Amino acid sequence: MQAPADTEARRRQPVLRRVVVVDDHPVLRGVVRLACNASPTLEAVGEAEDGRTALELCRRLKPDLLVLDLLLPEMGGLEVARVVREEGLPIRILALSGRTDGKVVLECMRLDVEGFVRKTAGVQAISEAMELVAAGGRVYSADEEREAVAELGRVARHVHDADGVASALTPRETEILQMLGHGLTMRQVGNRLGISPRTVETHIAKLYRKLDVRTRVQAVARAAALGLIDLEDR
Amino acid sequence: MSKQPAKRPRAEPPGSAAAKRRLGVLVVDPLAVVRAGLALLIDDRPDMEVLAEAGSADDALEAMGRLRRTRVVVLTGLGLEGPHDSFWLIRTLRELFPAAGIVGCGANADPTAISRALFMGADGYVDKAVDPIEFLRCLRKASEGEMVLAGPPMEWVGAIADGIERQRDMELKLTEREREVLVVAAEGLTAREIAERLGVAERTITTHLGRIYGKLGVSGRIAAIRQAASAGLVTVGSRE
Repeated sequence: MQAPADTEARRRQPVLRRVVVVDDHPVLRGVVRLACNASPTLEAVGEAEDGRTALELCRRLKPDLLVLDLLLPEMGGLEVARVVREEGLPIRILALSGRTDGKVVLECMRLDVEGFVRKTAGVQAISEAMELVAAGGRVYSADEEREAVAELGRVARHVHDADGVASALTPRETEILQMLGHGLTMRQVGNRLGISPRTVETHIAKLYRKLDVRTRVQAVARAAALGLIDLEDR
Repeated sequence: MSKQPAKRPRAEPPGSAAAKRRLGVLVVDPLAVVRAGLALLIDDRPDMEVLAEAGSADDALEAMGRLRRTRVVVLTGLGLEGPHDSFWLIRTLRELFPAAGIVGCGANADPTAISRALFMGADGYVDKAVDPIEFLRCLRKASEGEMVLAGPPMEWVGAIADGIERQRDMELKLTEREREVLVVAAEGLTAREIAERLGVAERTITTHLGRIYGKLGVSGRIAAIRQAASAGLVTVGSRE
């Protein structure tokens, strides 16, 4: 069916969507600015070099689209996205990333970031992604989706493994693991807990079995990987 | 009537090396028609075969115990009900058969159900609505321990990841007994009825409930159940 002339005219008169871009690299900001100039629907209204300034611009200018580099000085891109969501600012986000990393992609999805595009994708791809996301679309490439699903698998398995091992370890065993992680010897562990080195050894033998490892270093590495202990000094 | 599906005749004998290399599938679903349909689809492929079918979690475990194969994928519907539901089955399988691939299968399962299946140890979720070729491809990938997610919109991936973490938090906070009490409480039973069901004193139940509210930081039963539901611990309404 033919649309009436006035509707047609209104359709040709595009809605201008306001864009803020954050990147510490001037070239990429330039690319985004050029893309806005070339687009009939996008208008660049602000630029920032770091996360903190970006957030201020978002609060003040309330853009429709935030083009967000994920690696930023001051405050990381993911952190900016998190605050934008927490404050309920009605801003759509297109993440720019140096590489496809499952962890980062999944984190973007969890923050309801609408689009994800690699900087290496080229000017054309970036400007298309901007238009799409600004217009209400969602842009993740098949590669990125695959990476995110693989990461989801790692998250599930990690939680599952950690859960299984954590419920198998006694509080005393976890305590000893934690001390080993901080570099204490068996004798030091024994002294601190007021038990004999021999008893510590027995605990450690059980720990090895439960963690399915053969050395102390492996035990500590595995426990740290499962998030059961913290390797930071305190 | 035989429980085994009609098999397409194969060139090599069942015990041969070629047969052993094929991916073996255990099909679990409460509905016989669904099992039959899946079996037809799988047995039609030269590189995989249905080794057994089961209509309940207990039958599935029994069948799994009888299988003597290294490459096995369990394809389980998420619609098994009762205390030994699909999620119980997934967790038990994961503990008893760590090498097996486990794929949850459903019709329009919500993100909470999917994250619960993954949390319990499934290698993925495949919707019954996906294309058969894709469906089979997912089974092969899962048998290699790869995570598969076919059918649900990709917009759900973030919510599924959130769900997995919520469940972990819930499991870390509550003891097994407390979770059990909460699951029964979600059925809308009184403290006395819960006590009867679990064979303990009413007083014990009220103590448990009080402790659960404290740990979850809620003031009452509805709020506790709502939290448990959002973590997939209890199901409010039907699964499929």
